[in-house]
Amino acid sequence: MDFSLTPDQELLRDTGHKLLERECPPALVRAHIEDPSVYAPLWRHLSEYTALGSGDATDLCLFLEETGHAAAPGPFLATTAYLALTGDETNTGTVCLVDDPTVPFVLEADRVDRIAVVLPGPRLAVIDAAAVPARFVATVDYSRRLFALDLPDLDSGPLDAEFYAQWRDRAFASIAAEMVGTARRIFDMSLAYAKERKQFDVPIGSFQAIQHKLADMSLALERATAAVHYAAMTVDGHDPERSRACHVAKAAAGEAGRRILKDGIQIHGGIGYTWEHDLHLYLRRSTADEYLFGTTGWHLDRLADLLIDA
Amino acid sequence: MQLAWSPEDEEFRAELIAFLDENTPVEMATGYDFQDMGDEHELVPQWMRDWQATLFDSGWMIPGYPPELGGRNCTPVQTLIYLETLASRRLLRSSHFPGYAIVAPSLLEYGNDEQKKLVPSAIRGDTIWCIGMSEPNAGSDLAGLQTRAELRDDHFVVNGQKVWTSYAMIAQKCFCYVRTDPTLPKHKGISLLIIDVDSPGIDIRPLRHINGTAGFAEVFFTDVIVPRENLVGSLNGGWAITQGSLAHERAGLWVEGVARFEQTIEGLVALARTQGRAGDPIIRRKIAAAYELAASLRALGYKGFASFAQGSSAPEHSYMKMAMSEASKAAFELGMEISGPLAPVTDPALGATTNRFVHGFFLSFANTIAGGSSEIQRNIIAQRVLGLPRH
Repeated sequence: MDFSLTPDQELLRDTGHKLLERECPPALVRAHIEDPSVYAPLWRHLSEYTALGSGDATDLCLFLEETGHAAAPGPFLATTAYLALTGDETNTGTVCLVDDPTVPFVLEADRVDRIAVVLPGPRLAVIDAAAVPARFVATVDYSRRLFALDLPDLDSGPLDAEFYAQWRDRAFASIAAEMVGTARRIFDMSLAYAKERKQFDVPIGSFQAIQHKLADMSLALERATAAVHYAAMTVDGHDPERSRACHVAKAAAGEAGRRILKDGIQIHGGIGYTWEHDLHLYLRRSTADEYLFGTTGWHLDRLADLLIDA
Repeated sequence: MQLAWSPEDEEFRAELIAFLDENTPVEMATGYDFQDMGDEHELVPQWMRDWQATLFDSGWMIPGYPPELGGRNCTPVQTLIYLETLASRRLLRSSHFPGYAIVAPSLLEYGNDEQKKLVPSAIRGDTIWCIGMSEPNAGSDLAGLQTRAELRDDHFVVNGQKVWTSYAMIAQKCFCYVRTDPTLPKHKGISLLIIDVDSPGIDIRPLRHINGTAGFAEVFFTDVIVPRENLVGSLNGGWAITQGSLAHERAGLWVEGVARFEQTIEGLVALARTQGRAGDPIIRRKIAAAYELAASLRALGYKGFASFAQGSSAPEHSYMKMAMSEASKAAFELGMEISGPLAPVTDPALGATTNRFVHGFFLSFANTIAGGSSEIQRNIIAQRVLGLPRH
């Protein structure tokens, strides 16, 4: 068991970090609220990395931590998930899981070429995105765009159940990786603010009440990050722990995200409650992600099924 | 990042397992519970002494040490495999940790040649040690300790009191922190002495634990004469040594805590079944949440170990003690919730399957207090890991 990054992985993470820092500053995430087309220049860069979708989950998750950290708009997560399911490397895509309780909506349907539709069975149909009427579903998160599809009758083929189960676990680990990235952003902002903001003539971060909050936030963040890395390793290693580990990762990321956004805003005080401050950009992403690909409670309940009934 | 161990490490594991299969004492294999000991039990039973000696003689006591110190010069990864294997089998190396875990590494680092001769017997368990640290007025603020040692020519005269001193009733030697210069700032006037517990002027009064058994003691010193050569390290240089413990094992010591926590969760699943609560959605979700916590902490421990093995500092390990001690307390509480009205029942006829949770709950208070309370741990994380300023 080795959690250390290979030199290639370190390079991938650092490259991703620098790319997103440069191309996806808070100003872009903010501009995307009014004008979703501003994602295009960022997407030209990110689209060079979508092949990660068919590679190792460990590499993909390291990169997704960075897209989550930046709350990057665009169909990166959707396309990597589409590629992992279909193997189609030439088109951008997204997935539509029919009658699946974890994702009733479809990510970024108006920005991709294809939609992979998974029907109960499981069966798979891949269709042209332009051919399906899609209704935009507004959420609190302006950085992701969700859609409800009006699906016609589809010609579908069988999808291997074990392959699909594996893909689903990988998707849980993927969204969890983005979530710990977003949580790290909020945590870093809160820690920096605690060091610089003075009250009673001293930094508020010198008060034990604030220190203990940040210690607990940091524990939640570090254990969720480790859980995501472990989950990705079980996906790559076809390990028998895979399903448990991926449920753990999404649940831990959900708990960490919630704790960090709540305490992060509390630490920021009044300024964190304003529209002008960038905190809410990440608060929105973090809040909405908790309900994508299965809520924290849903994942805990599936974990209970595996622990108690198996 | 990968799950598999190297072939050499798998070989190491196989050798260890073969040794354990052959040599594990039957008393331990059948689930001897040290936490359940009453006063009628020996604190260190003879079979446990024999087991520790066997481990030492076979190079399995501290595998990272050389053979003359009970080891086999294994790598850090192998040490982790060793600790993990012991924990998964619920095996203890020793029933008294101060000698091998604190005294031995501290003497190896700070002791003179004469004092280093005490190390093998400390690790083998032939000498039982206690550690004189806490005092009535020096708990979390350890540097405020007041037990006084006055240097007079070739000896110290020690007066004062220690408390919560584990194993003092059966120890031969005490690793004792004393104030040698009250005029210096508090961290700078502390020294470390080796004190023979049978020296005249030492009075040991056992203290009962919260669960009724006696595991630690108050130790009173009245004009106790300690030869000057029993000073470890430099005069007034004792504070640095308080930070010492098994540095090369610290990166893996969390494994035992995680394994014990996971075993408690397995116990919760079994309990939910026997108590007819396995279908209760609230209980199910709480068990899953405990499992999630354990699994993510195990991952965090390994992640920190990877940094440690590469020579980087591993802030991950600062979290483990605090998180494990609080998580296991919560797991015992969940066991009590599942037990319902049977939770507080100790009557063996009625509480046989449920009473370990309330016992565990009571004992779990020790772990959020001893060795640095959870509040002190949070201060340490905030200040040393996150770089927040002291008030």
